[in-house]
Amino acid sequence: MALAANTLPQGRRIKLPTMNWQRISRWATIIGTFIFVLWLGDRIGDNPRNYAVVTINGILIGGIYAIIAVGIVMINKASGVFNFAHGAMMLLTAWFFLSFYNTDNFNIVAVSIFVAVTVILFIAMSDWRDLMKPQRLVMGLVAGIIIVFMMTIGGDEWRLIRAIVGSMTMATLLGLSIERFAIRPLMGQPVFTMILMTLALDRIFVGLTNFFFPSIDTSIPILSDLSNLNIPKTYEFDVVNIIPQIDRALRIPSDSVVVFILASLAFTAFILFFQYTNVGLSMRATAENQVLAQSVGLRVRAILAIAWVAATLLALTAGVLFGGGNSLGPTMPSLALIVFPAVLLGGIESIGGAFVGGIVIGLGQTWGDQLFQSEAGTQLVPYVILMIVLIFKPDGLFGQKRIERI
Amino acid sequence: MSANIRPSGVFNTTYAQDMMLDRTWSNRLSAWGFVLLLLVLPMLSTDGLLGLDIIPPLWISVIAKIAIFAIAAQGLNIIMGYTGQISLGHAAFMAVGAYTAGVLVRELGFTFWTALPVTMLFTGVVGLIFGLPSLRVKGFYLAMATLAAQNIIIWIITYPLAPWTGGANAITLENHPIPFFGSTATKTGMYYIIIPFAVLSFLVARNLIRTRTGRAFISIRDNDLAAELLGINVFTYKLQAFFISSMYAGLAGALFAFNKQSVQTTDFSLALSIELVAMLVIGGAGFSLGPLFGASFILIVNQVIVPDIQPALTDFFSRLFTFVPAVQISTAFPPLMFGLILALFLVLLPRGIAYQWEILKISWKIRPYSY
Repeated sequence: MALAANTLPQGRRIKLPTMNWQRISRWATIIGTFIFVLWLGDRIGDNPRNYAVVTINGILIGGIYAIIAVGIVMINKASGVFNFAHGAMMLLTAWFFLSFYNTDNFNIVAVSIFVAVTVILFIAMSDWRDLMKPQRLVMGLVAGIIIVFMMTIGGDEWRLIRAIVGSMTMATLLGLSIERFAIRPLMGQPVFTMILMTLALDRIFVGLTNFFFPSIDTSIPILSDLSNLNIPKTYEFDVVNIIPQIDRALRIPSDSVVVFILASLAFTAFILFFQYTNVGLSMRATAENQVLAQSVGLRVRAILAIAWVAATLLALTAGVLFGGGNSLGPTMPSLALIVFPAVLLGGIESIGGAFVGGIVIGLGQTWGDQLFQSEAGTQLVPYVILMIVLIFKPDGLFGQKRIERI
Repeated sequence: MSANIRPSGVFNTTYAQDMMLDRTWSNRLSAWGFVLLLLVLPMLSTDGLLGLDIIPPLWISVIAKIAIFAIAAQGLNIIMGYTGQISLGHAAFMAVGAYTAGVLVRELGFTFWTALPVTMLFTGVVGLIFGLPSLRVKGFYLAMATLAAQNIIIWIITYPLAPWTGGANAITLENHPIPFFGSTATKTGMYYIIIPFAVLSFLVARNLIRTRTGRAFISIRDNDLAAELLGINVFTYKLQAFFISSMYAGLAGALFAFNKQSVQTTDFSLALSIELVAMLVIGGAGFSLGPLFGASFILIVNQVIVPDIQPALTDFFSRLFTFVPAVQISTAFPPLMFGLILALFLVLLPRGIAYQWEILKISWKIRPYSY
């Protein structure tokens, strides 16, 4: 019976509720650190109200970090590398989104060519011979026609739909071409080569962004219409009764709340997708052992391609949300570097851990900025956390324990 | 590799011959001839003593830069090519070297020659501190740790040490020339300081690999578990590798500072770290000549070829993509070219130029048979 409970029927993972010392100590660490830093802030922080606002902002920005982190975890689970190009992918795809958002008439020939290339690459994900199968060709043709049709509907009210569909197509194209032309030729090479390839991809995407888009700080105006939906500009919380030190109401900008909610929704969607679909299960199997996965009939190359597409879509989501809530500019790639500590803190195998790590890094960043001033939040605190994690708990909070010394 | 292959008919009859660095007279001739050529080159430029105009002055400054970055890349080669530990923070160690030398000379009254050993030792110690995570982690976890080192070191230089280092502003070394044979070093004099240091550091690296320490490094790279079972103290040797590699970085940083006569944190960003790793990969990691090939390749492309072909390419692409402003196109080239070159090398020549060079040498030695 124990065996039956632990096997994985139809892609479902059954979690057995256990409460052991390991789990208790893990949560004790998290909560203890949280209380310690709160205490520290109470000691050092100049103004309790500032401190509360900073805390809430840290949690809200952590939502975006979680999205970035899950993209990095995805690639790590499938290919076994850390994707240093994730920040540049965010920048490039967010610029695609913005330019699709601002354009209202598309050249139908150009759109058709891009969609056709994407569809062909998608069909031929694991093998060029798949292009010969009429069933897939028909499906691809139908999908392509729908996308082209959606892109060419005129009118201002459809611009968000056009931007979403167009940038998702471009992101899919980007992910598929990364996998096919950069990652697949390196199969069987050492991990070091793969890391360097992602560094090279990072430079290439930064170059492409510089090529096609201006290197200015701007923002994506998707959240400017919030007032039409009866959402106020800022939320005000009056907490005098609860915490007497905070005399005035806390003001939280509503767009960062909306961004956090959207990020959490996207995060949940991806988690559900990878926990409860066959693709997610095959991806976990592939990450475990590529040869074994191939020998039981999984299409490993297609799974890798899907992982890269998913990661690019996550990069698009993160880039658009960050560009909507904060800013879209040449500093965005460094954002992904801040997230590496979050990934390691959560444990690289764990998607749920990525969320916790993202929140912790977000908090650390805003607290660091508040306590030390001088850019400590972006340049120092995440990396100090990274060093502490690497020295004391290299597996992370939720990662798998390895027997060997990694 | 090629050290084992001699032309037929050349036998070792003494232990001294067996231990020679360059076994045949042609090896010695080409090595010393290359060094001599480097030393003669400035004489033929307009800045030289003879006042000839054969070599453009740009070449001399590019060669000096190549030498500096080849020293840094040789340091990276020791930690990455021979010991197999990935480091993404080498530029930060260069920054430590540059700032230590600068502060020692500016604030504490050292000269360049007395500051240099102190700088190298201090950078080595900083490298040791950031090598400590290699006790627990390896592979790209260590890459993460060195990435942290990169950011933490630059932050420490910029903010807490700002009274000495000038923070984000550059500190200038123009008022502190290098004493050099009774007078002070000019631009050409700086060239004659850099080149011997580069030659010396290459010789040291080549010899280091033939010692017990070097063999231990290589065994850790190839299989650390087996190395431990052979009685090699993996952690100690890893720390030694970090120490030596950081000393090289410190030397390169100090030379960089005095060559440029100013120090700024933006010179030592993560991009430079990545560029150094790329130099190593393009040149060939684990070959003593790899850093030279890599530094030459990257710097010649960056400093000579890209500025030359940039106008033509910008013109071409602005006709192809009429909707893109020409300014954007010209700023896009350096990262794009760098990324494409690195990606192509990774796919087509993953062992780098030095490997092809070794194959060339061997196939010359065993001619007329094929390799």
